[in-house]
Amino acid sequence: MSYALIIAEVRRGVFEERNLDTLGICALLGKETVLLMPDKPYTFNENMYDTIIKAKTEEEVFLNPLNIAGIIEQVISARGKPDFIILTHSSSGSESAVYMAGLFSLPVVTDVSGYDKERNIFFKSYYSDKIFGEFKSSQEGTCILTVRSGSFKEFVGEKASAPKVEFIENVSVSEARTFVEYVEEEKTDIDITKAEFLLSVGRGIGNKDEIPDYEALAGLLKAVLSGSRPVIDKLWLPKARQVGTSGKTVKPKVYLAMGISGAFQHIAGMKDSDCIIAVNKDAEAPIFQYAHFGIVADIHKVRDKLKNILAG
Amino acid sequence: MNLLVFTKRVPATQEEELRIVDDGKAVDLSKVPFKVNDWDNYAVEEAVQIAEKTGGTVTAISIGDKESDEVLRRAIAMGAKDGFLIEKEEILHDPGVRAALVNNFLKKEGIAYDAIFTGVQSEDDQFAAVGGILAAKLGIPYASMVIGIDAVEKDHLIARRELEGGLQERVKITSPCVLAIQSGINEPRYVSIMGIRKASKVERKTYKGADYSENANNSIEVVRWVYPPKKGAATMLTGELDEVCKQLLGVLKEKGVYQ
Repeated sequence: MSYALIIAEVRRGVFEERNLDTLGICALLGKETVLLMPDKPYTFNENMYDTIIKAKTEEEVFLNPLNIAGIIEQVISARGKPDFIILTHSSSGSESAVYMAGLFSLPVVTDVSGYDKERNIFFKSYYSDKIFGEFKSSQEGTCILTVRSGSFKEFVGEKASAPKVEFIENVSVSEARTFVEYVEEEKTDIDITKAEFLLSVGRGIGNKDEIPDYEALAGLLKAVLSGSRPVIDKLWLPKARQVGTSGKTVKPKVYLAMGISGAFQHIAGMKDSDCIIAVNKDAEAPIFQYAHFGIVADIHKVRDKLKNILAG
Repeated sequence: MNLLVFTKRVPATQEEELRIVDDGKAVDLSKVPFKVNDWDNYAVEEAVQIAEKTGGTVTAISIGDKESDEVLRRAIAMGAKDGFLIEKEEILHDPGVRAALVNNFLKKEGIAYDAIFTGVQSEDDQFAAVGGILAAKLGIPYASMVIGIDAVEKDHLIARRELEGGLQERVKITSPCVLAIQSGINEPRYVSIMGIRKASKVERKTYKGADYSENANNSIEVVRWVYPPKKGAATMLTGELDEVCKQLLGVLKEKGVYQ
């Protein structure tokens, strides 16, 4: 029976919403959906899967690429090879996907954001999200995919009957890599997720010396200043102010993005804002695809002009 | 600790308008400037810092055409002892092929290492895959999204991995291992033109990719290149700067965030 094996993304007892995207692409592929997850109590709609396989092990063991490979070997020996092994394009999902690709010598396409059923082609972003590559596997057999969050969730639906539930009793645990502990982000007084109006700056501001002028603009607008990954990486703004998958997910009334090109990890953290306004000198910047209003201009000139108007 | 670090020369496409040519068979990069992959810059810096602390060496390795020598010189200027170029003229779009080449290269040349660092992903193909495939092929453990290395011991490292929403996890990983280094892990040192010129005097070895291509066959292929579908239609505010800014303030007032 042809099936797709979905590896659940779970974290600290939560069944992540991104799992809807791995399920959604399965619906498009028209495969029997087999979900593999740790045997722990998670809250989600089980009726969306044909079969659920629960591995009797700790979540941290399951999330380790060295262990998940062994679990999947057990699934394959019981059910035969799947047509696809599908994971979320998350920190742990992509980590496990590529390690399995190497271990089992299987093709892998990561960060898939579209599928053309007629031509059996997967779309993957290239070159700052400005170009899509149309990919296909060049060999028969299983293909591993990681899928971009938000890309396929609209295609999910419930099955006619409740899922079959199976168990994997024995999971071998690798000593070569072991979980030690979670490390929480330091608490700070600023919580950008509470702000109604965020002025967010990106790589386009050029250098750290520009920050005070954007802070001043934020002050005049009564907005809170936040930033995208490059600004945080370069320590121009503190980590607590980072918008994006590895930082905060924000939904302000207005998100004013200046000099942010719109890498997908950033978009994922702000796309549900009520109103997105993007200012960028590059008319091709992907952020304009998600913005409600756009300005193609030199961001420093816009900043200085706004300050003039507001101060005057 | 002796470290190998992979570094890649990539097109700086962030602010470039890209054109697809040859009926979708190619992307025209002829007018695009090239640079070191941002993630690799952090990986090189991390490797150099660890070598400085533990008294080992760093060897930079690049797969690419002759021009890739430029990122090897850069790594040497940052503190790598030497640089190897695995020469391949064509762009390799399958990370499995890149990993197979490296796997063959390391084994055939008998290169010893305690750890291999890569960047989390490269800016051009955004695959985030070579390090993990390579680790599995070498039979050694792997961790990606490494945002901190908290301890380097004789037989293991303690690495911090970046997860989602500001959360991190600390893992213990035995060496040798492959770590994919996340941007922001350190502050990469400044590299001057003088530094690169000095690095040019250090010999870099070139190896022919064809000598290491056993089992390095494409398992995936690019059928063609297309432009991403246009999603929304942002209302573009246009006109003179003054006019545009007033329109912007108008939007802010309408949305009720500015009076």
